[in-house]
Amino acid sequence: MRRPLLPVLGRLWLALILVFLYAPIMVMAAMSFNASPFYQLPFSFSTRWYAEMAGNPQIITAALRSVSIALVVTLIATALGTAASIALFRYDFRGKKVLQLLLFPPIAIPWLITGTAMLIFFFAIGLGRGTPAVIIGHVALALPYVIVTVTARLSSFDITLEEAARSMGAGGWTVLRRVTLPWIAPGMVAGALFAFAVSFDQFVVSYFLSQPGDSTLPVLIYTAIRKGFTPEINAISTIIITVSMAIMFIATRYSRFGGER
Amino acid sequence: MAEITATGDRRRLIAMLSPAYLWLTVAVFLPLSAMLFFSVLTALPQDGPDWSLTLQNYRLFLTDPVYATLLWKSLQLGLTVTVICILIGYPCALVLARTIRGRARETLFLLVILPFWSNSLVRIFSWAIVLRGNGVLELGLNAVLPFDVSLNLMFTTHAVVIGLVHSYLPYVILTSYLALQAIDDDIIDAARSIGAGTLTILWRLLLPLSLPGLLAGAVLVFVPVVGSFMEPRILGGRMGTYYGTVIEDQFVAVYNWPLGAALSFILLAVVLLILTLTSPILRKARL
Amino acid sequence: MTTARSSLSILALALATGAQADEIRVLNWQGYGTDTSFASEAFQEATGHSVIHEYFNSEQEMLTKLRTNPGAYDVVMINAVFMPQAVREGLVTAIDTAEVPNYTGIPEGFAADPKLMIDGEVYGVPWTWGLTSFAINTSAIPEAPTSIQALWDPAHAGRVSIRDDALEAMQLAALATGQDINEIADLGAAEAKLAELLPQLRTFWSSENDWNQFMAAGELDIATYWSGSAARSAALGLPVEFVVPEEGAIGWLDSLAVPASSSHQEAALAFIDWMIDPAFYVQWDAEGAPASANADAAAALPEDAFNRRVLGDPEVAARVRFQGELSDETRETYLRIWQGLKAAQ
Repeated sequence: MRRPLLPVLGRLWLALILVFLYAPIMVMAAMSFNASPFYQLPFSFSTRWYAEMAGNPQIITAALRSVSIALVVTLIATALGTAASIALFRYDFRGKKVLQLLLFPPIAIPWLITGTAMLIFFFAIGLGRGTPAVIIGHVALALPYVIVTVTARLSSFDITLEEAARSMGAGGWTVLRRVTLPWIAPGMVAGALFAFAVSFDQFVVSYFLSQPGDSTLPVLIYTAIRKGFTPEINAISTIIITVSMAIMFIATRYSRFGGER
Repeated sequence: MAEITATGDRRRLIAMLSPAYLWLTVAVFLPLSAMLFFSVLTALPQDGPDWSLTLQNYRLFLTDPVYATLLWKSLQLGLTVTVICILIGYPCALVLARTIRGRARETLFLLVILPFWSNSLVRIFSWAIVLRGNGVLELGLNAVLPFDVSLNLMFTTHAVVIGLVHSYLPYVILTSYLALQAIDDDIIDAARSIGAGTLTILWRLLLPLSLPGLLAGAVLVFVPVVGSFMEPRILGGRMGTYYGTVIEDQFVAVYNWPLGAALSFILLAVVLLILTLTSPILRKARL
Repeated sequence: MTTARSSLSILALALATGAQADEIRVLNWQGYGTDTSFASEAFQEATGHSVIHEYFNSEQEMLTKLRTNPGAYDVVMINAVFMPQAVREGLVTAIDTAEVPNYTGIPEGFAADPKLMIDGEVYGVPWTWGLTSFAINTSAIPEAPTSIQALWDPAHAGRVSIRDDALEAMQLAALATGQDINEIADLGAAEAKLAELLPQLRTFWSSENDWNQFMAAGELDIATYWSGSAARSAALGLPVEFVVPEEGAIGWLDSLAVPASSSHQEAALAFIDWMIDPAFYVQWDAEGAPASANADAAAALPEDAFNRRVLGDPEVAARVRFQGELSDETRETYLRIWQGLKAAQ
């Protein structure tokens, strides 16, 4: 029996933190429904900015581009990441520690450094800016998340199952398809959702790598913000934040990320 | 797990690992090496054949005080944001991990870390909406308070700090929570049975035991904040010049990529130094 | 597959008849003429070409966008001061003025500007000219100041704004310290003057839209501005008055150019021709525009237009200091000074 260490004060603190975390987002979202173009109060409800946004081809194209890039990135990162996770889990070999360590740079190094380094390198090899460059960059950022998530799922996998299947005469691919993959499927789904979110929300790397006119949604928003705010940006931001929170909500449910054992 | 014995295994291992690691090589490790190379060039090879090797870009960092000043300013910003995140976030993690249980805890925890996974640019933008003069915050406060307040927070260093704390606070809560949650209840009960008070338990037991998690969170906040540029640009106004914004300028405006590369590389060195120094702690935190 | 084949056949048809509809990309300041909706619509109707707008936040950024995104732009607006650098770097191509019928209306003084016509080749079509000075929020400052020192007035502390631009800042400081904007002899004095100005600032403004919002929200009393933009803001109903102080104002000449990497040069020239067309200019000026570099267009304005009234005033004209050529070394010096000042904040 555990006695509460901290009294009501603690819960109040927690409530304040939640207000701090969510209030600005709520205000931003509320302002997308305010009719005034200068964010003037009193509040008067209007869906005008959503209508304008829907009629803005630049925003729509950028949104579609962001989604398609995220889908491609998810496919590639999940496939490559799952393969690598299984290999890292199944085999012991020299250099394994190093390989695991190499997953951290894309996460730990500030994106400003990674992004500018990619820009320099892609120009040096003649690839330049554009959607292919963006996809290459995003996959690299998403891979570690996929590998970590799938590996976490694998850690509860009983390797003797594979051996049992093999002893009954199943080939390598059959074992993978019928035994291993079904077990790690939830991990893969969570990893895929992480990958999608990493790509869909990515701003810094896209900012350096995307070609003007072919920019992703976050880059378009940044450009728009620097030209002065309009409630249209609030509208598109509200949609983005709802989508990414929903995705992450599902992802965390799948991976039981940090929850109760 | 199987030791590699058969050549078939080795081939399979390589087939499964190489796509991911080749990708990381092309997209991360080669670019970082290219950046080191470019940082010692006089001009870009793609702009013509007149380039040569030089240490001028690094010399500039040492001779022109602007860059060192800005790096120092960014490090200070990182420190401020980290300390605030710890002061706010650790008690929050403590409450979550030690006083709330069951479904409520799971839901609250999810609520705390969810914003972290949403678009950071949009969250900074939302602060710009809240903080602007005659903005929601001021109107709200003036409606509640009997006297007039004029905060004028937008375009100040405070605004940058608030935005960054909002962006990175969930890191500290997440890592501290994981560490606190792993502490065995029996230890607490034992301490209590020999008469330890709440404060003693907190200070002598919970804090030391969860310190690796807390420090890991601190590193995860500090590193990206030192390299931030979008947040100061949007919220900082004339106060928003930092080491990160100068690097951004070299790439998108001034077109001095070799200098930008050198500045980036110096930042990378600082970051790697911090990560190396703290890696024993990070490993202890099992992150 | 079918769509690909049908779009191919449309392309073939267009090539055969010569009526190819291009999509051109125009790089300019936001809200600066090229992106007015009536202009793009009329242009599309007349030529079939559609226009996409891209923006920059500073001239430095504009040049880097050209350098690092070859093929991305078809028309670019370049301040004449930056043209020699763009030409040296091979970013823009020489223009065949025969393809720009309205070019004949441009007076010799602008057309033969040595910054735009280099070695006998025309690289920039003079488009507009105007002043950089400052404007006041008349609801905060009822009486227009006569001196540029108003920006430094402690009464406006925290309610002043300028652009984050090294050249503009240095030239502003030159005016305020009584120096020649093209030959700043005492750089130290200019730097010290700017160091005094920075704490006055609320923030940097980066576009006209941005500027208007700050003024509309009453966040600024006084801010640097461009003559054409001031006319436009006033036309929007903002309480704004443009001031040409006794110390003088910075005169600039903006030109339109075609990036060397553009693959739609014909459509680009057609667009430039439309941009200097008197018909376009009169309509633009009604919304507020800088002065046209095309004499025919300027003559087409009504008598009471801002551009005739203010810029046509000989007393004002005498106070204008036009921007001269700028060497790379000078530009880098300015940039270093400006960066240092900002870093010290």
